[in-house]
Amino acid sequence: MASADDDRAIIEKLGYENLRRSERALRRRNFRIALLFMTPAVLLTSIVLLLPIAFNIYLSFTRWERFKGLDQFGGLDNYRLLLNHPQFETAFTSTVIWVTASLIIPVGLGLLLALMLRGIPMEGTFKNIIFLPRVLAPTSIGVIWFYVYAPHGVLNSALTLISGDPIDTGWLYTDQTTMPAIIATYVWQNVGLVMVLLLLGLAAIPTDPIEAARMDGASSRQVFRYIVLPLLTPTLLVVSMLSILAGFGAFDLLWVMGISYPGQRTLSLSVYMYFVGFNKGSWAYAAAIAVFLGAISIAVTWVQALLQARAERLRS
Amino acid sequence: MVNSIENTPFEEALIRKPPVRRTGIGRRAVFLFALICALVWLAPFYYLAISIFKTTEEYAHNDPLSLPQGLTPILSNVQQAWAQANMTSAFFNSALYGVVGAGLAVFFAAMAAFALARLNFGGKNFWFMLIFLGTIFPFQMYLIPLFFGYQHAGILNTRWGMLLLYTAICVPFPTLVLRSHMSQISREVDEAARMDGAKEFRIFWSIILPNCLGSLVALFLLQFTWIWNDLLFSMVLGNRPEIRSIMNALQVFQGNYAATGPNVALTASLLASIPPLAAFALLRRHFMEGLKV
Repeated sequence: MASADDDRAIIEKLGYENLRRSERALRRRNFRIALLFMTPAVLLTSIVLLLPIAFNIYLSFTRWERFKGLDQFGGLDNYRLLLNHPQFETAFTSTVIWVTASLIIPVGLGLLLALMLRGIPMEGTFKNIIFLPRVLAPTSIGVIWFYVYAPHGVLNSALTLISGDPIDTGWLYTDQTTMPAIIATYVWQNVGLVMVLLLLGLAAIPTDPIEAARMDGASSRQVFRYIVLPLLTPTLLVVSMLSILAGFGAFDLLWVMGISYPGQRTLSLSVYMYFVGFNKGSWAYAAAIAVFLGAISIAVTWVQALLQARAERLRS
Repeated sequence: MVNSIENTPFEEALIRKPPVRRTGIGRRAVFLFALICALVWLAPFYYLAISIFKTTEEYAHNDPLSLPQGLTPILSNVQQAWAQANMTSAFFNSALYGVVGAGLAVFFAAMAAFALARLNFGGKNFWFMLIFLGTIFPFQMYLIPLFFGYQHAGILNTRWGMLLLYTAICVPFPTLVLRSHMSQISREVDEAARMDGAKEFRIFWSIILPNCLGSLVALFLLQFTWIWNDLLFSMVLGNRPEIRSIMNALQVFQGNYAATGPNVALTASLLASIPPLAAFALLRRHFMEGLKV
């Protein structure tokens, strides 16, 4: 004989199913609306960004060159060429130097400035001055520094004034000086941003443990080494990753400032890729260089994510 | 939008003064170091400031560090720079790409972010990744396919083509920022509106968007600056003189075939940097406030 309890159970079950059905209907309705909202973004990014990336990977396996060979499959030919090409090697070496310098110098100097400028007179003015170049357009910076480094330019003039001997170096023409000169400009442009990012990281560090350590007689160096640095590590990792990715993609300054340098095409992989593709018409080979750069970017992002996860785990 | 007089974290970072105990010689050495850095950092600006007031003659025959003899040459420098780089058209193009491209991109990103943050449906991560995936690759991977794709579609070297690229490339980052911002807005607001029978678009338009106005402005300025400063895509996809952007046009002053003196080139590069400078001045207030990821 059915009891009242059984009846209630049946009613509840029915109600629950109705609820689930209505929730599913709601989610379906939501999905249709969501799709409408996402359509412009999804269409734009898939057609203008994702499709080209897929096509670029395909191209790197063809023999496409000067409007022929798009349908010829070349396997790994372009990648083999890439590994054996002396110009690629030069460009790759330059890129490694560029990335290393544009990571170590701005991050080092940025950290130094972030730590040292605290508490000195006119602190805000100094920080604003260091940040200022970042606000100019990179191409404008390239043009300005092109003339700073020119043979009759302001740098030679200043060096002449300091040393007393007439100095007439073409900083952006000679092999030994071109890269360091452009790196110096890059440092000038980017230290400010690195400093601000690090300052934000420093501002997020709680002051209590630092005060406590000071009370216990720890020196500033110990405080920095054992309290500030570990807490700043996540910020440093993000800044480093951003610097490395920016370094591999750097184009504007190298292009604008290297215009008069005979070896410009091998100043970096990004310039080399542009040259191979758009000046020489070796499209498939240029596509392979782009894939190589893409692989590096993915690897850097991945390593950073791993390190970040480790840093988080160590902290907790 | 927050209109408080409190400093944004960005400004806070610039002016914050935590207790640092430095005394005597150390303090003076640090100040000296800062002073030297500041002078080195300002030197190129000094050079820029004196050079734009010189005539080509004056620049060529005097020490580049010397002070200008008068202030009037800047007028003819601006005139020459304007004519040489065809700046009327270049400024118009860059402004068009920057304003329309960044505006559309931020709006589309806001729509997508609304769906991802405020609507309940399955497979959100897939859709987010679909939008975001395009930005983790270096720009070099787009160049060749876009060049030939554009040629095939007949939009190579056209304003439409440039706008299409700039809009698309500026969508993913604002989507990321706005998604997290929108998911922080209290749910009760739009639940209540939904009860009242408001359509989703009205909730988006009159409740969510006004709540994110600060971020929207900041993101628009950031993306505008990026588009304005872009050289690479402009060189590959927009090289016809009439549709050239200002950064691309600046290249007429570069290299060994430049027809004018450094004074004109420097004036031109300063003119080209005024909009990003202005954008930053506006952005400073919103720099971090709007970008709490």
